[in-house]
Amino acid sequence: MFLRNYWYVAASAAEIGRKPFARMILGEPVVFFRIEDGAPVAFEDRCAHRHLPLSMGKLVGDRLQCHYHGLQFDRTGQCVRIPGQELIPPSAKVKTYPVTERHRWVWIWMGDPALADPARITDFHWLDDPAWGAKASYLHVKANWQLVVDNLLDLTHLAFVHESTIGNAALAEHATVKVTRAPNNVVVTRWIIDQPAPPTFVKVGGFTSNVDRWQIIDFVPPAFLRLDVGATPTGTGAPEGKRVDGITMRNLNAITPETEKTSHYFWGQAHDFEPHNAELTEKIFRQIETAFHEDVEVFSAQQRNLDLCPDPPQVDINADTGVIQARRILQRLHDEERAALHVTAAE
Amino acid sequence: MSHELTRKRDGAVKFRVELVWQGDTDDAANAASSIYLTADGRVILQGRTVSREERAALALPPDGEMISVDRPLIRAIKDML
Repeated sequence: MFLRNYWYVAASAAEIGRKPFARMILGEPVVFFRIEDGAPVAFEDRCAHRHLPLSMGKLVGDRLQCHYHGLQFDRTGQCVRIPGQELIPPSAKVKTYPVTERHRWVWIWMGDPALADPARITDFHWLDDPAWGAKASYLHVKANWQLVVDNLLDLTHLAFVHESTIGNAALAEHATVKVTRAPNNVVVTRWIIDQPAPPTFVKVGGFTSNVDRWQIIDFVPPAFLRLDVGATPTGTGAPEGKRVDGITMRNLNAITPETEKTSHYFWGQAHDFEPHNAELTEKIFRQIETAFHEDVEVFSAQQRNLDLCPDPPQVDINADTGVIQARRILQRLHDEERAALHVTAAE
Repeated sequence: MSHELTRKRDGAVKFRVELVWQGDTDDAANAASSIYLTADGRVILQGRTVSREERAALALPPDGEMISVDRPLIRAIKDML
């Protein structure tokens, strides 16, 4: 299941340059490059002539030249040169995708280009806001994108998968969880009061006694999860809105389906304390990265089992409440998108 | 939220989930009261106790505990559980 009329993160800004870059998005091969003024461009990664991936070609000025027979395509996807032939068939063109750059990521619109309004791009300003220290990265996941969304909406797993970094038993046993479901949004707010800090929080926050810890997960379809996480010494007023003597971070996640069984996982970690301390930024990043590699192993193992037995019965528990709401929203949006497509086709 | 948490400092909180459903508009009437899923397996609804006078006026049974819940809560139950 893919939702098409949405902006997705396609690549980090640094990945796209003057060398064609291939990436499969929502089951479609796409090639990215920058034209000479630096603007990113995305084509279907398939020559209109004999289907060779255009990513095997090279840039000639602002034109992408196919590696096979030298056809050249301009930034609109139109073929503008066929070696040895003056007449260029109008049908000699490749599909293009709207792309734009924001928050150090390159975003792509895989649906109806007429609907591609950049104002709809989900806000990830923490990644390039000077008031925050931040570092972002990418993971390739051998699993369906919704397994990653599920993972981030139910953080009880931190107690078991990440006990050496960001997890401890309190997350599963002593959390109060509030799930607020709006028509197109789920917010899961978790508080863990007067409990020991997990190892990562001790390392970067220097906590020596119990903390009040929060995890506020903001889910925006199709697969954006922005986590406001942190802790303060217990009893200092964090639940009442007073975040003093503690740490506040943002864990930022954008999952882009590659295929039905593989995903691109763009993520970043930002912190508002000592934002210009690059060493601290790196230290925090490494802790979270360790945890995320543990998650990737879980996703792959889940997918392997799902491949053996698709759609098996499963048991839901209380902690799944946010996950269930998000899945319902996604299914509804998918149904609405398909219905709109059928109406358009009928017209 | 904060008041509840403050009260629980004197004892470790058991895991529990609260669900709140919000409608299509910001209208406060569109927000449902909470549904609580507790660690011991219960589903607890937030509502208002029905008084002895109301029971009499509405010809409701005089015995047993009764609560009145808003219609958005019913919609939330249908939509969320």
